[in-house]
Amino acid sequence: MMRPAHILLLVLIVLLAADGFLLLSSAHRRARWREQDRLRAIAVSGLGLTDLCVATEARYTRHPAVTDLVAPFMDHPGAMDHFPSGSFWAPPPRP
Amino acid sequence: MRTLARQINILDYALSSLWRRRLKNASVLVVFTAVIFLVASFQMVTDALTGTAQEVLVNAPQITLQRMSAGRQVNIPLAYAGKLGAIYGISNIVPRVWGYYFDELTGANLTIMGLDTSRMPMGDQLRLTLAEGTFPAAGSRGSVVLGQAVRDMVRARGSQLLSLFRNDLSMASYQVAGVFSRATDILTRDLVVMSIADARDLFRIPPGQATDLCIYVANPTEIGTIARKIADLLPDTRVVTRPQILKTYRVVFGWRSGFGSICLLTALTAFVILAWDKASGLSLEEKREIAILKVLGWQTADILAVRFWESLLVSGLAFLLGVTLAYVHVVFLDGVLFRPVMVGWSVIFPPFHLAPAMNAQVFFLIFCLSVLPYLAATVIPAWHTATVRADSALSGA
Repeated sequence: MMRPAHILLLVLIVLLAADGFLLLSSAHRRARWREQDRLRAIAVSGLGLTDLCVATEARYTRHPAVTDLVAPFMDHPGAMDHFPSGSFWAPPPRP
Repeated sequence: MRTLARQINILDYALSSLWRRRLKNASVLVVFTAVIFLVASFQMVTDALTGTAQEVLVNAPQITLQRMSAGRQVNIPLAYAGKLGAIYGISNIVPRVWGYYFDELTGANLTIMGLDTSRMPMGDQLRLTLAEGTFPAAGSRGSVVLGQAVRDMVRARGSQLLSLFRNDLSMASYQVAGVFSRATDILTRDLVVMSIADARDLFRIPPGQATDLCIYVANPTEIGTIARKIADLLPDTRVVTRPQILKTYRVVFGWRSGFGSICLLTALTAFVILAWDKASGLSLEEKREIAILKVLGWQTADILAVRFWESLLVSGLAFLLGVTLAYVHVVFLDGVLFRPVMVGWSVIFPPFHLAPAMNAQVFFLIFCLSVLPYLAATVIPAWHTATVRADSALSGA
């Protein structure tokens, strides 16, 4: 019969092997991403892009770098920030 | 060798002890894993987005000039570009007309961008970013280049043309000249690129105005100095520099956001409850077990070693499982649990093939915040009990 410590060792080996696989997969994904760096550099330079296209629902989350600081509340009086993505993004730093 | 054998025996005892109280320990493991999963997932998603922004936006316009009026951004007169001629060091000024178009049929927000790409840095290489078609010649009217999501919208309508409504509800139709590659989705997915004249016509912006000006300087080390000169010369403008854009993206995904704060507070509350449960003392059964072990001749150090192993196993396994599940969640499931908050009601959003850098600092921080306090909270009450005389512990029980 196996000792409890041996069972633990097996569990740890399986977990660490899975983590090792994920680490290799991460390196592979990043290498694939890097291969396309030049395309993104051209798109940003050639079009003068200032922001990532992550959320497109509100202009202050689509273009936080060039938006008004008070944009969530300035559309009309009492206009609260009702867009869900507004809660994911921290306020940009004051210039 | 003897010490190792002794530690393995203690480990065996600790594992048996955990197994005896398996229901309680399993529930602690599940809660602990879930908390670490939440913290690690958020950290990985925000790290990946921040890293991507820092990598790709390093080529953003050196200076973006917007005009402000009554606290809002308004169109900037092209005459402002002429005024900037007085500032030495500016090498190029390119006006852009851009804005948002809400498509009522799909509920999607498109970003319309009109500019003369031949005047932009690397503008002559933009055709390389296309998956299909060509980039229209500078100034040619009636042709657009679309992001992948916009192309899908046009296809779904069974049309070859992109039709948009002007402010007065008259329709403008454009030939689709090209489609951006999926490799640039994180930048171009919702984009419609057209000539500046077409964009002016669509948004009804007078010929002498633009949305903003992209300004390039001959010496990149002078960006800050020239930005200050522009702000002095044109006080009704907002000057956004490339370093400011990068700074924005260093802080915009972080724990200070509402959602980030909720994740952090949830994790902290769970940690506090777990630690309080442990620190508030051992159960009667655990106290009796320690007393019996002492009667049998176990030393205080042995009892502490058992408690240490128990806590290390629970918290260490929870850490390993939590971080592994977080990585699978972020990379293989594209952060599916966070997506509803990240994109909100967006109809168009990129596929989020996030590739977080496996940053050892982040894992170390999560380890220090989770495993170490748990170890301390468990071992200290055990030490208190283990230092009491066995007979008094038994009689107290």
